Amino acid sequence: MGTRRRRRHNTASVIFIVLYLVCIFLPLSMVFVWSFTDLWPWPNILPQEFSLRAYERIFSVRSGFFSTLLLTITIGIATSLLTVLVATMAARTLVHHAFRGREAFRFGTILPFLVPQTVFAMGIQVLFFKIGLANTVLGVVIAHSVVALPYAVSIMVDVTAAAGTHLEEQARALGATNLRMFRFVTMPALLPGILSAAVMSYIISIGNYFVTLLIGGGKVSTVMLTMFPFLTSDDRAISGVYVVSFLVLSLVVFLIFELILSRLGVREQKSLFT
Amino acid sequence: MRASTDTAREAVGNRRFPVMPRFAPSRRVRESVTPYLLFLPAAILLFFFVFGMINGILQGFGIAPFLDMYDFTLDYYAQAFAESELLDSILFSLYLATVATLGSVVLAIALSAAICKVGAGRTLRLFSLQVPMMVAHAVVVLSLITLFSSSGLLSRILFALGIISETGDMPSILGATNGWGILLAYFWREVPFIAFCTITIMAHVGDRYGEAAATLGANQIKTFFTVTLPLCKHAIIKAALVVFTYVFGSYEVAALLGPTMPKALPVLAYYEFKMVDITNRCFAMALNGITIAICMLVVIIYFVILRRERRAAAWEQGADADTTQRP
Repeated sequence: MGTRRRRRHNTASVIFIVLYLVCIFLPLSMVFVWSFTDLWPWPNILPQEFSLRAYERIFSVRSGFFSTLLLTITIGIATSLLTVLVATMAARTLVHHAFRGREAFRFGTILPFLVPQTVFAMGIQVLFFKIGLANTVLGVVIAHSVVALPYAVSIMVDVTAAAGTHLEEQARALGATNLRMFRFVTMPALLPGILSAAVMSYIISIGNYFVTLLIGGGKVSTVMLTMFPFLTSDDRAISGVYVVSFLVLSLVVFLIFELILSRLGVREQKSLFT
Repeated sequence: MRASTDTAREAVGNRRFPVMPRFAPSRRVRESVTPYLLFLPAAILLFFFVFGMINGILQGFGIAPFLDMYDFTLDYYAQAFAESELLDSILFSLYLATVATLGSVVLAIALSAAICKVGAGRTLRLFSLQVPMMVAHAVVVLSLITLFSSSGLLSRILFALGIISETGDMPSILGATNGWGILLAYFWREVPFIAFCTITIMAHVGDRYGEAAATLGANQIKTFFTVTLPLCKHAIIKAALVVFTYVFGSYEVAALLGPTMPKALPVLAYYEFKMVDITNRCFAMALNGITIAICMLVVIIYFVILRRERRAAAWEQGADADTTQRP
């Protein structure tokens, strides 16, 4: 009786998970199919003709899409490096140092979670114009880092607190220099967090539309900015190709990092907000 | 605890420099400056954020030095609340954020409970939670368009079933004034997010207390609602508040899938912002001010919860430290 009831619950759970996965991956795969479609008039349920027309058009040398891809990756990686460096340092003070104003700083690091980025972008545009950061790649990288910072800090605070200072103290007691201690003790302990925070920042950067639009002024054209007007257009093959290339940019990087993490034998990341 | 580690660090530090007295004062200065130096880069980034916020708020009150406007006024706010279009936008955004948050929370709880129940491994969690979290909102929008637009897959299936005879018969789902398209996009994206923030603690709690409750003869569903869920409450609420402020203030989805009337608040704010007449900016900033006010209300709730939780966590950590220190 007991086992049967448990099995029934299990079946219900499995059905729910399968339905959920269908809801997640069916829409995504539709976009994938559209990107290869040449002819799919209403009301056919299946596409009539497949072709690489849209791929050829977007990836032709003339379209300049390669430089857009390169720029997007550059901005994503730069944002990710900057954010992680800043967040790692900030997390270290927040966790290991007691100082005046710590709670204010802590509040500051989660503020961009709580006040929408649209408000930030519209408010900061004037300053960025004044100091010459508007319409520049550097300006976009800085603005993206501001948006990604709270995510990176919350991951790094978590990892820094878990790592503790015991091992560092031992290393120091054994006479390690600061540099060697950082290289062989601190860094390995923080590595899983650093990787997660880096991926998170990269994803936030390449997926951002509004901040990129306002700070980049349309002159810094990332993949997101290029594809946005096409999303509601009628040529779904074209918008499909943009979205597929965007997904490759984000998911490939994410899965590579996941692989590295599991190679390192790291436990799953606990959560974003502890 | 902290005092003891500090003395330990000092004792250890001394060993490297036998000639102590010369190094002691500079070291003390260094220790007191270090935390600020380490935080400096973050402070610079946050300065940009706070500057943007405060600049926006001031402009909403008519103070815009770059336009040579220095007089405090409440006109823009008065105007915002007087025009019915704007009030509709505020209400529409509130509606979207509330329904998207509540719906995502319920679905996310069900999802993480199901995953815990099945005892799913790392791969399933990866593909059901983390991968969707990595997908940008704009991508979700296009996916929904291919399914639910008037010529999307759904309308083709309805035609095949003989329910509709042309694309015009298809009821509008995506651009509808009830915001279904926007809500669907947010459900798609935020359910995995909330589930990701909840599932670890839920699995942990289930392992620890679920068995005990089951041994004592408690019904599984009852156990879930009386034991597991209350223990996950804080994690869920925190994730939900992040989702609320995000949905309330984000532009992309509402701009792509929203109806022309009423516009979501951020969409309307940007519409005013990019007008040629630059004084419209003050008006846009007043709308942003309203966004900030509503989000700040949420922040206050967040902090009340956070403080309560941190107190509980500190207590728990103290208990853990006791057990680990035992030889």
